[in-house]
Amino acid sequence: MLQKREKVLLLRTFHGRTLRIVREHYLRPSVPCHSPLCPQPAACRNDGKLLTSDVTHYVIPDWKVVQDYLEILEFPELKGIIFMQTACQAVQHQRGRRQYNKLRNLLKDARHDSILFANEFQQHCYLPRERGESMEKWQTRSIYNAAVWYYHHCQDRMPVIMVTEDEEAIQQYGSETEGVFVISFKNYLDSFWPDLKAAHELCDSILQSRRERENESQESRGKEYPEHLPLEVLEAGIKSGRYIQGILNVNKHRAQMEAFVRLQGASSKDSDLVSDILIHGMKARNRSIHGDVVAAELLPKDEWKGRTTALGESDNEDKASGESPSEPMPTGRVVGILQKNWRDYVVTFPSKEEVQSQGKNAQKILVTPWDYRIPKIRISTQQAEALQVDFRVVVRIDSWESTSVYPNGHFVRVLGKIRDLEGEIATILVENSISVVPFSEAQMCKMPVNTPENPWKVSPEEERERKDLRKTHLVFSIDPKGCEDVDDTLSVRTLNNGNLELGVHIADVTHFVAPNSYIDTEARTRATTYYLADRRYDMLPSILSADLCSLLGGVDRYAVSVMWELDATSYEVKKVWYGRTIIRSTYKLFYEAAQELLDGNFSVIEDIPEFKDLDEKSRQAKLEELVWAIGKLTDIARHVRAKRDRCGALELEGVEVRVQLDEQKNIHDLIPKEPLEVHETVAECMILANHWVAKKIWESFPHQALLRQHPPPHQEFFSELRECAKAKGFSIDTRSNKTLAESLDKANDPSDPIVNRLLRSMATQAMSNALYFSTGSCAEEEFRHYGLALDKYTHFTSPIRRYSDIVVHRLLLAAISKDKKMEIKENLFSNKELEELCRHINNRNRAAQHSQKQSTELFQCMYFKDRDPETEERCISDGVIYSIRTNGVLVFIPRFGIKGAAYLKNKDGLVISCGPDSRSEWQPGSLQRFQNKITSTTTRGDSVTFHLFDHVTVRISVQASRCHSDTIRLEIISNKPYMIPNTELSHQNPLLLKSELVKEVTKSVEEAQLAQEVKVETIQEEYQEYCQTKGRSLYLLLEEIKDLALLDVSNDYGV
Amino acid sequence: MAGLELLSDQGYRVDGRRAGELRKIQARMGVFAQADGSAYIEQGNTKALAVVYGPHEIRGSRARALPDRALVNCQYSSATFSTGERKRRPHGDRKSCEMGLQLRQTFEAAILTQLHPRSQIDIYVQVLQADGGTYAACVNAATLAVMDAGIPMRDFVCACSAGFVDGTALADLSHVEEAAGGPQLALALLPASGQIALLEMDARLHEDHLEPVLEAAARAARDVHTLLDRVVRQHVREASVLLGD
Repeated sequence: MLQKREKVLLLRTFHGRTLRIVREHYLRPSVPCHSPLCPQPAACRNDGKLLTSDVTHYVIPDWKVVQDYLEILEFPELKGIIFMQTACQAVQHQRGRRQYNKLRNLLKDARHDSILFANEFQQHCYLPRERGESMEKWQTRSIYNAAVWYYHHCQDRMPVIMVTEDEEAIQQYGSETEGVFVISFKNYLDSFWPDLKAAHELCDSILQSRRERENESQESRGKEYPEHLPLEVLEAGIKSGRYIQGILNVNKHRAQMEAFVRLQGASSKDSDLVSDILIHGMKARNRSIHGDVVAAELLPKDEWKGRTTALGESDNEDKASGESPSEPMPTGRVVGILQKNWRDYVVTFPSKEEVQSQGKNAQKILVTPWDYRIPKIRISTQQAEALQVDFRVVVRIDSWESTSVYPNGHFVRVLGKIRDLEGEIATILVENSISVVPFSEAQMCKMPVNTPENPWKVSPEEERERKDLRKTHLVFSIDPKGCEDVDDTLSVRTLNNGNLELGVHIADVTHFVAPNSYIDTEARTRATTYYLADRRYDMLPSILSADLCSLLGGVDRYAVSVMWELDATSYEVKKVWYGRTIIRSTYKLFYEAAQELLDGNFSVIEDIPEFKDLDEKSRQAKLEELVWAIGKLTDIARHVRAKRDRCGALELEGVEVRVQLDEQKNIHDLIPKEPLEVHETVAECMILANHWVAKKIWESFPHQALLRQHPPPHQEFFSELRECAKAKGFSIDTRSNKTLAESLDKANDPSDPIVNRLLRSMATQAMSNALYFSTGSCAEEEFRHYGLALDKYTHFTSPIRRYSDIVVHRLLLAAISKDKKMEIKENLFSNKELEELCRHINNRNRAAQHSQKQSTELFQCMYFKDRDPETEERCISDGVIYSIRTNGVLVFIPRFGIKGAAYLKNKDGLVISCGPDSRSEWQPGSLQRFQNKITSTTTRGDSVTFHLFDHVTVRISVQASRCHSDTIRLEIISNKPYMIPNTELSHQNPLLLKSELVKEVTKSVEEAQLAQEVKVETIQEEYQEYCQTKGRSLYLLLEEIKDLALLDVSNDYGV
Repeated sequence: MAGLELLSDQGYRVDGRRAGELRKIQARMGVFAQADGSAYIEQGNTKALAVVYGPHEIRGSRARALPDRALVNCQYSSATFSTGERKRRPHGDRKSCEMGLQLRQTFEAAILTQLHPRSQIDIYVQVLQADGGTYAACVNAATLAVMDAGIPMRDFVCACSAGFVDGTALADLSHVEEAAGGPQLALALLPASGQIALLEMDARLHEDHLEPVLEAAARAARDVHTLLDRVVRQHVREASVLLGD
């Protein structure tokens, strides 16, 4: 039974009075010890995570160690860590929620070998605090006492090491009990993990930054920033509307001056503010960092400022502020930070010369983050000397005192060299908080095997429970050529009653990935497969993604199917069936072949391996069957699509995807004229399946289903689109998705197809992103998907590469068993958990998109870097002006898919002018900006005007930067379209060039590495470690398609 | 608010109990000789004293007498020193009136009032220390006191509170848990029949969660019943020994 004790607490009330509070404290004879050595596992009730048994000792960190060195304890190499409850509470109360949540996640993480022992609730471990004993002493005493108990509990079989920072404790307890050692943390690392270099470095840097901070707080110099207000005041202020809560967004191009607070939540409804709030200058930003949730106070109206619309160059932004800013907007200052969103930052050390100018204190160094939006960080490290030479380094921010201009941080680890491909890719990953360690052995050993000696088979139990479609249905898949991970297959057949049956069969990933298994946890953390320009990081191990879950042709596979019974003529849905099935895909077609079959061109059958071994007669019969199925599918898809179009589905992806598909075919030397209808057919079937699954799970679990919403856009964001279209004489009606789709179709300049493409991409930019959400968290009207014009939508069809689909699969299967009145075996996520998960997945998707974009830019820069822009033919290209700024224009280069700024006024104040041969030169003069044109007039009286959608010739060069990523620089060299001498080249498209570009860059990097023979080995290892394909791969091609397409809408199609 | 973690990831509450566990309950019957019935209960640090007089003739205005059953009169008060901050609590304030009414409803449902027409039963409850779940403690103390007075009842009335934190129902809330401001439900149960004598909740709780919370409160009330039953038996045994002498 429980034993009751009483604890007396003295608390201070808000009014400053002390209050004596008596709280109960219950002790129990046994709490879970989570050790495999436990003599009475039944009594301890050890469910859940256990410590591994292959450790030589257990480590028990003291409270101080947990508070200060948690980052080191997070290393997966450290095993057998027992966190005492006392220590956890010390973190919770003294270090705040952020660090405590880190600790909680660490404990929850099945991959990390650490547990929590609730020592304060164990009757033999609990020690009441004695009168006059300091909190710190008591905590250390409790932890030591618990450590001793734990050692005896495991029957003295496993030595226990308590690591502490308290010298007295080491003295006092060091030799008190045999088998329980008390040593300092540094000592522990030295003696047990001498090889773990990263941990040692991290430890040193933490130690140093702590010492610095202590010194600093003693100094207490004059304040640089006003203090933040206490949280209660902020909360009250937000409620009363005095302060405004929002997320701080720093303007990338003017990181020193401009930041915006994006309104968030309830505060925007009450106040009549519509736009963001401008935070001008570092002082007003008051130590908040990009991404923090802040509370801001509005300044009086006469202090409001306008945002600058001029193009700024990152290095001389303040000086170039001669232009008159636009009209004033609400301006404010930050009064407090509600939630800090600090992450790991990639930084670069200053070069040697800069260090000297930084002055006397060589221990403290100001480093420059890779991300422009993050202020410089002051770190103290002894490795500065070694790291100065061009390394990218990860640091963390520790604190930002009001007395300090810059935040304090500490060094964490080295990523790689500047301008080295691997180093730069690692930078992109860290900056997007993507961690891609290879799958561990523990994770892999749970995976099924499929080797020639030990082939994977359909198990008899599953055969009994699943519907067997192997004999009855003609199932086939249509994918890009060479695709490895086939998520989806299709089938169609006529039923006995004359109706049609359409089936979509999706790989049954959840069969192999049990909830909360190692693989599941890992997949959840990754949330999606990451595609970078030259490689990909899979969400699931390849045994699943490319083999057992992939619905390849001619083999038995598990699937989750949705089957509709459709009316034979009207294609109305009569019935729908969901369930687990076994299928054997008969044909693994690729798009082009399917299109040829559809068009009645049977010459392609030579390309289809399934037909090879058949004799003429059966081949003919099979072919007819397949052609009928594809034809029928297309017919159904047309109907479904037409129905959706009537509701106003947007075809934003239309032109662009088509362009790219053309391009893709260029790669295959096919050069067709029109886009393939098969693509749409497959996409439409997937949308249909997603839609029906969304309806099903929402009906079964109205409060905890995962759906995808696409909120309607704000009309004001469309103003730029409308104005641009007006410049070309088109009118765009943005009132609803239907009118928008129609007017976009009409806005087509026959002489210049790029205009329509640009308009469509502007329309996409104006729209908000589609997001996952939990149905319990918002009202039913908000479920709509604007782009697809569906009332409910989810992602169901790509469980191999998206975690959201795995969740939806589980929901669907639970819904099926609920229908059958069976008990739901799996633990579904509650609304709150699901909401949390959706946020995580949305975040990860965003990170995936960013990293993909950044890696493409990286490759572009590497491509152009080695070329001399003055002489090289390729660096000169045709560009289209798509936006006008006060001192320049934004240009889109269709050939490379690059968007960028070109200045009409350079740093010396000279403006561009074009001579009679249309060559441009810099002349003194002035610029005049109109709504859709910009005129540059020189002092000599010549003038040149640039209109929206004008074609110009630009020279592409790379602006190298040491601390940040290199950027592409555009320079207008002529106001006439670029004439390409070689006509063949003009037909080549960006995609082809881009994939070539990636290949070329990769190749040159490899060559460089081969030259340095020392390095070769490590790089090879890395390639093996990540198991990534080099150079041009299928994923690369796929990604190119997605890249230029409107990102999110194309995702929705499950392509 | 930094906020206390009411339910840790390991399933412990602030005071070390698990979600369904009660606080320590100690009770005594017959603490005052001059009253007809009396009892004292401690539920954790919540301490309450109940005294019962009656059934006796109607005091005061005769008009209040009921022709077919007894009148149950309940009065609740709480000591100045019952909470952390000393605070004078005048008689007849809103809170104690409400509590008195709730007690009255509870006991009208449990006492066989039709056996004593035109008479009155007085139940006085005083809370000496309040640490969460005062209503439950008052009901449990009053049950014992009514039994001590020998007034016939249908069954024990056992009460317990329950709350809802992070998707889990917590039984028998302490003051810390109540103060956190989550939904809180008070339930008085007639354990043998499973009938509910009183159910009260004054916070918002999603309909889907009501069932588990109700279930937790009912289970806790049954546990309370086991304990109270033990106390009554012990008391009767002691009393019979005394009488035997």
